[in-house]
Amino acid sequence: MKSLSQVHAALRHKNRRHYVLLAGCCFFSVLLITAYVCMMRSPTVLNVLPEGGDSRKQVMMIFVLTVIGCGVFTTYASGLFFRYKSRETGIFIALGASRRQLKNQLTRELLIISLGSCSLGALLGTPLTWLIWRVFRLVLVDTEEKALTFNAQAYLLALAFSVFVIAMLFFMLSHFIRRINVMDVVYESRKTESIREVPRSYGLLGIILLAGGVLLGYLTPSFCIKVLHWYPPEGLTSITYLPALLGLYMVLLHTVVNGWRRDKNRYKNIIPSSMMKFQGRQTVRNMMVIAMLVAGAYFASFYVPMMSTGATNDFNTRTVDYAFSYREDQDMLTETEIRQMASEEGVTIKSYAEQSSAVLGVDGWEYVENTSNLGTTYTAEHKELQRSEVFLPESSYNALTGDFVDVAPGTIMAVYDDDGSNRRLTTKDVTLVTNPITKQVLHVTPVENVLRNSMLFGYKVLDDTDYALITEGLTDEWLEAKVFFNVENDMETYAFAKRLFYVIVDKSSLEVAVYDGYDPVVKILTEEKGENYFLDREHQEAYGYELLNYSQREASNFRLFWKYMPQFRVLDEADYIKTHAVFLMLFIFIAIICFAAVIVIVYTRSLTIALTNAQVYDDLRHLGASNEYLWHTVRSQISKVFFVPILTGTIVICTFYMMILYFNDGSFTNSEFAGILNCLAVVAAISALLYGVYRLTLRKVCAMLRIHKAYSTKHT
Amino acid sequence: MLAVQNLKKSYCASKATYEVLKDVSLSVNKGEFVGVMGPSGSGKTTLLNCISCYIPVDSGSIRLEEIELTTLTEDELATMRNKKLGFVFQDFMLMDGLTVRDNIMLPRIISRNTDKSMEDAADQLCDVFGIEVIKDKYPAEISGGEKQRTAVARALINEPLLILADEPTGNLDSRSSRAVIDTFLQARDSFGATIFMATHDSFAASFCDRVIILRDGKIYCEILQLKKTRNEFQDKLLNAIRIMGEANAE
Repeated sequence: MKSLSQVHAALRHKNRRHYVLLAGCCFFSVLLITAYVCMMRSPTVLNVLPEGGDSRKQVMMIFVLTVIGCGVFTTYASGLFFRYKSRETGIFIALGASRRQLKNQLTRELLIISLGSCSLGALLGTPLTWLIWRVFRLVLVDTEEKALTFNAQAYLLALAFSVFVIAMLFFMLSHFIRRINVMDVVYESRKTESIREVPRSYGLLGIILLAGGVLLGYLTPSFCIKVLHWYPPEGLTSITYLPALLGLYMVLLHTVVNGWRRDKNRYKNIIPSSMMKFQGRQTVRNMMVIAMLVAGAYFASFYVPMMSTGATNDFNTRTVDYAFSYREDQDMLTETEIRQMASEEGVTIKSYAEQSSAVLGVDGWEYVENTSNLGTTYTAEHKELQRSEVFLPESSYNALTGDFVDVAPGTIMAVYDDDGSNRRLTTKDVTLVTNPITKQVLHVTPVENVLRNSMLFGYKVLDDTDYALITEGLTDEWLEAKVFFNVENDMETYAFAKRLFYVIVDKSSLEVAVYDGYDPVVKILTEEKGENYFLDREHQEAYGYELLNYSQREASNFRLFWKYMPQFRVLDEADYIKTHAVFLMLFIFIAIICFAAVIVIVYTRSLTIALTNAQVYDDLRHLGASNEYLWHTVRSQISKVFFVPILTGTIVICTFYMMILYFNDGSFTNSEFAGILNCLAVVAAISALLYGVYRLTLRKVCAMLRIHKAYSTKHT
Repeated sequence: MLAVQNLKKSYCASKATYEVLKDVSLSVNKGEFVGVMGPSGSGKTTLLNCISCYIPVDSGSIRLEEIELTTLTEDELATMRNKKLGFVFQDFMLMDGLTVRDNIMLPRIISRNTDKSMEDAADQLCDVFGIEVIKDKYPAEISGGEKQRTAVARALINEPLLILADEPTGNLDSRSSRAVIDTFLQARDSFGATIFMATHDSFAASFCDRVIILRDGKIYCEILQLKKTRNEFQDKLLNAIRIMGEANAE
């Protein structure tokens, strides 16, 4: 060996696991982030997630968590690498190598590692996304619409993360080389982190801060909006979650340093506890990241059970098998034609009801917004004509539902869904009803009691005479027919349902190809102000809304958002996964990415703990520790690394999720209860998977530390 | 050859300043084997680290031949460590990924002085120190004594003016300690090396030509070997340390 590069090559070969660890961590981080952004920015996904909707916000929130997690993880891996390098570098400096020489060498090595691993991660991110999506399509649903397309913007985000990883590595290199005290460098690998005394009150205080912070963070936006009439910038309200983060840190710190069981088993666990303490800051920082990633991963995982439970509940509680409505100026199918079609498809219609409803203007509160640097404030102004609602006379309501409702003259009754879970989406406070053609106004008094029928959710019911009076002179475009019918063997009538759906679409004109939020009264009011209505077909593309196209009637966007989309139980149930596939696959994908990050981090952390403490285990052996004692010590350490953050993250997110459900409407509905149970089943399944990873990791660590396999196998 | 004048060094810890070296002056002649003894905290390792320029001094002068070490630039210090100084550490500081022979040649490789003479010098040092049979082994495969002899050979390969040894026998059993001390004696006798060794071990120190005893950052006394037998010299060292301990107790 005659040259310095040969020496470095030999050292690299001997210590390749350190290089592999760093390269692997950078690779995994960039791979996961690239895969995430590829999915998040994919036009396939963006076309389905509503702009500014909760789903997009959730996806972005979990993305931020993942970026933080992967960022902290790569920083941790780099720290380990430089810690290993410090001894080698110290010896070189002691033997007369110059800092410049060493910096050049390390720069070359880091360039190769970082560029190689980041490029590979970024390159494989897209195929990984495509592969997972392909598996979803094979397992769940496969249509052309679900083919994943990629957006070049995604690569900019992936590139930005790669640049962060590389910049962070070189910043740490520069810091590492700048340290002038050679002795510190030489003895760096033997240096232990100290942790300041942690008061026992941190445990309880941490829990209080965590719970209070979560409540504060969740309730602040609605407090600002409802009480202060202020839409604060999102970044500002995010700050209100900081006490929760501080609480989480304190809880984890207390768990690592003090433990929860005072004096109990103190001597039994003295070795693992002390080892954890002396890697305190690093341990807690890692645990924070893992806990937050677990929380994000579960948040994404809960989407599927909650959504499917809600849908199942919806299908089961529908009071009719087939329901659809159409504007009466449309040349729609008659009852005879429908019965004829049913007969051709071998379907027997048991009961059939068709009633006319009217779209009428109502009064309400209009929110006038003022935007400034501190966000947007609004003032609520009562308008006699603010929007439209769909009205039924009491007789039509009874004919459709089979109820015997009697609405008193001069009053109005609102229809809520059966379990009241969506009541925040409608109102019962209508006092003025306006005929949009004749401009005639009817004064009504809202009735406190509401009607309950999920099929007519959001409708308003008037006394027959009042209805006849106020709808006089309405043209057909303001009238909507509502058709309800039941069939025999509902679940075997898919072909009929599909055909009927297609014919309804074929018979609908372009005038009614509008989104479900389309309101003809708001359109008139907006145009009266000389502005364009954002859901008008002429203008909606300018506002970022894709035009609804009848030829795309199988597309999720059409079936989820078309205003006149029929509700056929057999069709909706059978096509549910297909219609919601993008949502389902996106959130499953996110959960997979986050859990993959969690697994990589806890696995790496466990292995490095074993490596850094190998000497301690040798010393314990020399002191006469048995295999049994060593195995218990390792298990105690690894289980803390795994279970403390995972349990914390799981408990926090479950509580937070239940809090969201509760605060939605101040109670839990049956559907939400069922959803929670399904979410808990998901938690159990994923916990079992994580436990499996823990067992494998424990086995691997025991093997690395040469702890008797027979013993560890017997007891694991 | 080495002249230390009025050397002061202090550390700050928890808002308090601790003076570790208080106006220390000493000199070492060419070919001399000098030991530094003293209780823990007396400043032995700090003195060695200051002479090695591993840590900056507060004030004072350290001259090696005619070169003032405290004013050297970073690059000049690197050259000085490589060419004029040799180091032997308590825990050997060998590169685990290099063989014994490669470890010995490392200072020459760092200075890019890798002609045939480098390999010859390494082989000769292996011969002299009795580690020829293990020269192709890795540090993990050899004993502590062999590691330390390898470290001494590495310190000598650039024919330095001064070898600085910090507790070289601290991690070794008595037999290995003796073997390491023998390598120092061989280095002095065969290569004319000058050695400055900090140690706790009176047995190791009893082989020195002169021993400086430090107490609380100052030179307490200097004891010369003066052709005494090794046992007599060790007794004299132990006696001096006992008296110093008694003075401390009073």
